[in-house]
Amino acid sequence: MPARPDEDGDHLLRMIDSIWQKTQQHWLDDMAGHFDRAHWTPLLAESRTYLRALGECLEVMSTAQRDTEF
Amino acid sequence: MTDVADIHADIDALKEFRDALTEFRHAQREVVERGDQEIEVTRAGLEDKAGQWRSLLARREADFAACQLAAAAELAAGRPADCSAEATAVREAQERLDYIRRWQQRVEEEASTFRGTADRFRDLLDLDLPRTENHLLAIISGLQAARGIPVTGS
Repeated sequence: MPARPDEDGDHLLRMIDSIWQKTQQHWLDDMAGHFDRAHWTPLLAESRTYLRALGECLEVMSTAQRDTEF
Repeated sequence: MTDVADIHADIDALKEFRDALTEFRHAQREVVERGDQEIEVTRAGLEDKAGQWRSLLARREADFAACQLAAAAELAAGRPADCSAEATAVREAQERLDYIRRWQQRVEEEASTFRGTADRFRDLLDLDLPRTENHLLAIISGLQAARGIPVTGS
C-alpha cells in the first residue's frame, strides 16, 4: 500500500536535509551561512508547514470517506 | 558581494546538493499533485454518495406516498394499515443525506483553509526553488572558473 503523500513528502524532506547537512561539512565560508539563512531555513520551514497542513487535511478527507460508508 | 576566491567549498558536494534539490523539487511536486488529487477524490466520492442517497430518498418517499394511499383505502374498508416502515426508511435516507451534506461542507472548509498553504508551497517549488538552484549553479560555475575547471552542462 503506498504511503500517504504527506508521509512521502516528509521522507523526501528528511533526505534532502541529510544531504544539506553533509554539504555543509564541505562548504566552509560565509556564503554557506548566508545560503542556510536565506534559502535553506525558509525552504525547510515552508515545507514543514505545508506537509503538516497536508497531513491534517488528508486526515479530514479520510474520515469523511470512512464516516459516510453506510 | 563575496568574491569566488573567498568561497571554500567542495565543488562536487555543491553539485550533488544542487542535483538533489532538483530531484526534491520534482518529487515534492508529485506529492502536491497527489494531495490535490486526494481532495478531489473525496469531493467526488461524497458527491456520488449524496447522489445515491438523493435517489434513494426520492424512491422511498414515493413508496411512502403509495403506502399512505393504499392505507387510506384499507382504513376506509375497516382494515388496519401501517406505513411506519416506509416512514422510517424515508427518515433514514434523509438523515444520511443530511450527514453527507454536512461532511461535504466540512471538506470544502478544510480544502479552502489548506489551499492558501498549498499555493505558497507550490510557488516555492515552481519559483523560489529554481532560483535557489540557479544561485547554486552560479556559485559552482564561479568556483570552476576560478579553479580552472572546464564548466560542463548545467
